[in-house]
Amino acid sequence: MANVQLVILLTSVALVVIGLYSAIFIDNIIKKIIGISFIEEGVNLFIVAIGYKAGGVVPILMPGMDTSWFASNAAYPLPFGLVLTSIVIGASTLAVMLALVMVLYRRYGTLSTKVMLADTSKKEEYDE
Amino acid sequence: MKLYDQIFNVVKQFRKLFSPGPVTNADVSGSLTAEIFLIVSLVLSAILLRHVNVLLAGIFTLILAIVLIYSIPLIPKFKIEQEDSLEKMLFYAIITLALIAVFMYWGGNLV
Amino acid sequence: MNELIPLMVIVPLMAALLISAFSKFNTVTKIFAFVVAICLPIIPLLSNYGLHYFGGYEPMINDAVKMMYHPAITYSFTFLQQIFIGAVGLLTFLVIFIYLTKYRKVSGPYLFLLFLGTAAVTAMILTDDIFHMFVFFEILALAQVGIVAASSIDYSYEMALKYMVLGSIGSPMMLLGIGFLLALTGSVNVTDIAAAVHNGLVDATSPVFLLSLALIFFGWLYASGLPPFHTIKSGIYSKAEPHGAALLQSFTVISMISIVLIMFRIYASLPIFEVLIVFFSILAMILGVSLALTQTDFRRMIGFLAVGELGFIGLGIGLGTNFSITAGLFQALNEIVITALLFIGFGAIVNATNEVDTRKLGGLLAYHPKVAIMLLIGGLAMAGVPPLSGFQSKLMLVQASLSCGFPEISILAIMVSIATFVVFVKTYYTMFLKPKPNDLELEGKDVPRAMIFAMGVLLIIVILLGIFPDVVTNGISNFVGGIL
Repeated sequence: MANVQLVILLTSVALVVIGLYSAIFIDNIIKKIIGISFIEEGVNLFIVAIGYKAGGVVPILMPGMDTSWFASNAAYPLPFGLVLTSIVIGASTLAVMLALVMVLYRRYGTLSTKVMLADTSKKEEYDE
Repeated sequence: MKLYDQIFNVVKQFRKLFSPGPVTNADVSGSLTAEIFLIVSLVLSAILLRHVNVLLAGIFTLILAIVLIYSIPLIPKFKIEQEDSLEKMLFYAIITLALIAVFMYWGGNLV
Repeated sequence: MNELIPLMVIVPLMAALLISAFSKFNTVTKIFAFVVAICLPIIPLLSNYGLHYFGGYEPMINDAVKMMYHPAITYSFTFLQQIFIGAVGLLTFLVIFIYLTKYRKVSGPYLFLLFLGTAAVTAMILTDDIFHMFVFFEILALAQVGIVAASSIDYSYEMALKYMVLGSIGSPMMLLGIGFLLALTGSVNVTDIAAAVHNGLVDATSPVFLLSLALIFFGWLYASGLPPFHTIKSGIYSKAEPHGAALLQSFTVISMISIVLIMFRIYASLPIFEVLIVFFSILAMILGVSLALTQTDFRRMIGFLAVGELGFIGLGIGLGTNFSITAGLFQALNEIVITALLFIGFGAIVNATNEVDTRKLGGLLAYHPKVAIMLLIGGLAMAGVPPLSGFQSKLMLVQASLSCGFPEISILAIMVSIATFVVFVKTYYTMFLKPKPNDLELEGKDVPRAMIFAMGVLLIIVILLGIFPDVVTNGISNFVGGIL
């Protein structure tokens, strides 16, 4: 069996790199936001992978379990709790971003970042 | 007055480029101050390199000063690089991230 | 009364939720928001110093390695937290007061955002748990975006979306850094992590530890608006309503110092940490002030000045001695008050003229003398003119960098102060002293009384802190002695 933790870590690195690439190079704002959520998910995956323990058990102490056996075999539960919170935050950030994109799409009629999010100080003209 | 005229012309072109309107005396003085401030403060911060190596600091400061003074006017170039478009902001943010990460990972113990 | 410590976060958070739920009852909402806003600066003054363990889980001693272990999220409340929470509470009160008197029909969601932001920064500066801080940092980013998007200024949605996209790069990187620390130490409590680093359980020279510093540092750059985020930070200040911008800059300053203090406790043993902070602070000072000199929109100009002044705070913390950190934190307090004063004052001018371009303004001294004089004193305080509060903190910073053996930084700090003064005088001249343009209509437009009142309160604080700086600096110095 391949080293599961290593595979997960490599996947998370791939997600972050793809996300950063699309954040710079893709012009469509929706695709850019998808790329950005790739970064968030990659980081979440990384934190989950920290808690992984090869051959470990779910960190829930059931009746009848020996406490010392449980302590040496359970996976580390803290990262899972953190990731849950982080996913919720990521979802709300995503929702706000997409809501703003909806408003801006109605105003501009395009999803291109170069048009929608260009330098606005040029447009604020000196109106005589 | 040559420098003042040079800056004045630059500011005039600059205003056409960004937001049209009259060029006032205060704007020109502001740009002129910014220009001088930028050169002096960058050269001054380059002297901080003397804590690494005195010779390096001397050479670097001299080269920086000459390059900066010959590339007057700086402010338009600086401002175009720091405009409000998302492209430029993201580009510089990610470049900075990459530089900090690479520098820390391989060079964090050198200081 | 240690029970009051969690209430500092819970009261604004509950108020935010209740107001947004019951915002259709206009009068009740107004009275409720006003009462809560008065409570915000009072709670930290009444509370005792101490620690609060959520859920009551006291720290445990691990017998195997003889180390303390904190199982609960811990809030620590000392003098530093008291003055900063008091300052942001007072500012929230003033901003909400301005907002309530300005509109007859108040918007529940907007008040929700103001209270949510206050709750988030309060939690950030109180907490001793790095992940808890990250959570509230994200909530703060959402609140900031909301405050910007809610303004009626052109292109505010665009600026809010840009801030959000950049934030979505910055905050996951910070979370990744926190994940590295968690992997190295198995804890997210800052005291535990710092103990593990100082006791040698974590190799401080390992690349993973250094990389965690790099990633959290990048998140800090985003939170505090140092370069490369100075353009977006000044942008969101200029696109928010003026009273909202006054609050936004206080959020920025407090999130900046709360993250940098946590980083300082963990990474202070690395010399590279201080080099990084000083480098980016100097960059912020140079870029912020030189860009402020070329602006014609005075809101944007104040935004860039605010970013430039942040460099002074970073400089104080980057120099790393007790005196310099005290100076940096004192400068942070001054900046919260002074920049809020400037934003509210220039906001009053926007209110009275509907104009933000300095080239189209002029001769306002005759029409709004009170605003003009208070703005003048605020600007002088920001530039560091004695005996105002900005002078005291900048003098301390210059002395600190001299005694650390960096006279270049002292000269640079003085030059930045002078350039700040130039920016301010230039703007003040074009707005208040130069002859009034013919097409500028000023008749029948008045400055709201609430804004004058808010500026007066902030001005009294500026003058008092300038004359009696010891009241604050002694307490901060004791706090800094505790973390060094």
